[in-house]
Formats: sequence, C-alpha cells, structure tokens
Amino acid sequence: MEVLYERLGRQAFGLAYRILGDGPSAEDVVQEVLLTVWRQSDRIDVARGRLNSFVMTLVHHKAIDALRVKRGQQARQVSVDFADVEKVGTDFSERVLQTIAGGDVREALTKLPEEQRRPIEMAYYEGLTHLEIATALDLPLGTVKSRLRLGLEKMRVALRSGSGDELRRS
Amino acid sequence: MNCDEVEDLLGAYALEALPGDLWADVSAHLATCSKHAEAGELRAVASALAFAAPEAQPSAALKTRLMDAVRAESSPPAAVPKRIGILGPLRQLASRRAIPYALAGALAVALIALVLTNLDGGDSTRPGRATVSLSGENSAGAVVYELEDGIIVLDAAGLKPLDAAHTYQLWSIASGKPSSLGLLGTAPNGEALAVVRVNINDIDSLAVTMEPAGGSIAPTTDPVLKGEA
Repeated sequence: MEVLYERLGRQAFGLAYRILGDGPSAEDVVQEVLLTVWRQSDRIDVARGRLNSFVMTLVHHKAIDALRVKRGQQARQVSVDFADVEKVGTDFSERVLQTIAGGDVREALTKLPEEQRRPIEMAYYEGLTHLEIATALDLPLGTVKSRLRLGLEKMRVALRSGSGDELRRS
Repeated sequence: MNCDEVEDLLGAYALEALPGDLWADVSAHLATCSKHAEAGELRAVASALAFAAPEAQPSAALKTRLMDAVRAESSPPAAVPKRIGILGPLRQLASRRAIPYALAGALAVALIALVLTNLDGGDSTRPGRATVSLSGENSAGAVVYELEDGIIVLDAAGLKPLDAAHTYQLWSIASGKPSSLGLLGTAPNGEALAVVRVNINDIDSLAVTMEPAGGSIAPTTDPVLKGEA
C-alpha cells in the first residue's frame, strides 16, 4: 500500500480534487480506490503504466459518481471492472498508457481551441453528458458531438507524436 | 444502432459523456463491429485526461487511514486474544452514560439494529433508550453502534464484577463459528465500553462470555450477553 500510495497518491488526489473541488471528499475517493486496488492486488499482474492508468480511471469514475450524487443526479451507469485492466486495445493506446506524462496531456489539452477544450473538460472533469453540455453552452447537440470528437482527435495526434519522441529518446 | 450513428457518438462515447443506455448501445455495437478502429484510440486519449489534472498533496491523515486499514485487514487472528481498547475520555463519558448520544451527535453515527439483551431477562424500558436493558442487580445489557464502516462501539452496563481469575470476552459469531474480538474490561460499577474492528455485515451475532483470565480460544461458558446482528 505504501508503494501504491507513494506512486499514485498525489496524482490520484489531484484528479479527485480537480473534479470534486473539496479535499475531504477527494480523499474519500482516493482512499476507497487505493484500498480496492490493494485488496485485489493478487488478482492483477500488469505493467506499471497500465496499473497507473487503471487506478486513475477508477478515481475518475468514483469522483464523477460522487459529484453527480452531490448535484442530485444519478450516478452514471458506465462500469469499469478489474477485467478492464487486462484489455488494453491498440498499439497506440498501449504506448500512450506506458509512456504517458501528465505534462504532455495537459499541453495537448491546453493547445486545443477553447471551443473544443471546454466541452471536453465539461465531459471529463464535470461528468456532464453531451446533452447537458449542449444545454449549458447553448449549442446544438450535433455541434457538441463533433467538437468532442475533433478535440480528442487533435489530442491523439499531439500525444502520438509526443509518445513517439519519448520512444525514440528511450 | 448503425455504424453512422456510432461514428457520430464516438467522441462523446470515449469521454463517457452519454447517458448510460446510449453508452451501452454504442459499446455493444463496438464489441461486434470492426469498422471503428478509432474508438479504442479515442478512449485511450480520454483516459489520459486523468493525468492532465495537476498533482496535489492530500492531508497526512489520508496515508494514516490507509495504512491503518491495511494493518487491520492483514493482521492474522491472534492466538491470544487482544485486549479491547477502552479509551480514557470515552470511558469517562461512558460512566455518565452519555457517550452514545455524544457519539451520535458529533460523529453522526448510525444506530445499527443490534442490541445485546440480557439473557437473564432484564428490563428494557429505560426511558429514551428503549432498546437497552440496564436496571436491576442481575440485569446486564449493551448497545452497539457502528462508528464507521468496520468499527463498532459496544457500550455495556450491569456486568457483574469479576475476580482476578476471570474476565469477560467479546465474540463475533458467523455461520455458528465464534471468533474472539478481545477481552472486555469492566469498571467497578459494571460498565464497559469497547471500540472494536468488525464488519457488522459479515457476522450473525455478538456475544459476551465469562472466561478464565487471559481469555479463551473459544467460548467456555454460556453468554451473559448475546444479540443478533
């Protein structure tokens, strides 16, 4: 647990805090997730990068669920399971997860035009659905859908070249 | 849902920004259709957003809570029963019989439906604490509160003082099998307060027995207190 905490505690808390905006709730989320992972650590044997990514995915889900409950909304029905940690898709996603650096992702996100960055942030950090984003930004639903996708695609290109550099350097 | 509809929703899907049923529809389509190679990559990019949030330092208390939980879960059952901690300030409060309310108010504890009743048939009509039997010379009783997940507080009274050769011992019983939760020290006035780590959902009942000093591996006498969880 100590290793898990030292490796991911600050990152996990940073994400939960970014989403929930209050320390005690964010700590509750991190505590629940790290204990869940620790309890099941004998069930998982995966590369470090993938485990980090899985832990952060769990933190994201728990924090968003807590946020939605706080807002009086239903928790989302998107499930994440330990089996998911084994299922990492393409070579690209494998590379992204293995070589990811927070700064790269932050840079890729901040380089997006506001009109694409904002809907992505609302979806990921605020747990809003495409419809809720469209309502909040007073945009047609189709516009939101295309901006979410376009923004992610631009980030993919940025990260692809970033992780390529990383691979070439190593 | 056809391929065009799925393509249209792929960005929102990757960010999980769809209502649950719609997300499940897209997910089900992707599981059986190989025409959406980009979906996995967009999901990976969306997952990577977790690392874009700036790191932050949680309070030192978080690490303490985590390490405490780990220690509690990984310690093997003790061959010799551990003495249950009776906390000084709580003990003083308990002697005034105010502790359950103090805990309830300050810590928002939930009263769980577990009442230890006096097997000798005590009076359960004490005003304001209808679930407790306390009065009378032979009347022993206790209430059990869940302080937080996995931690209970047992507040007992009316326990007969024991000589140095004997002690009270608290047991949890699950599937008919007793496990020691430790020795229960009593005050001269027959009161006892214990804070114990046990998940109330994992057990069927709690019991207190009188045992030789130092405690027993399994109960050797009939319970003086027993209650269903």
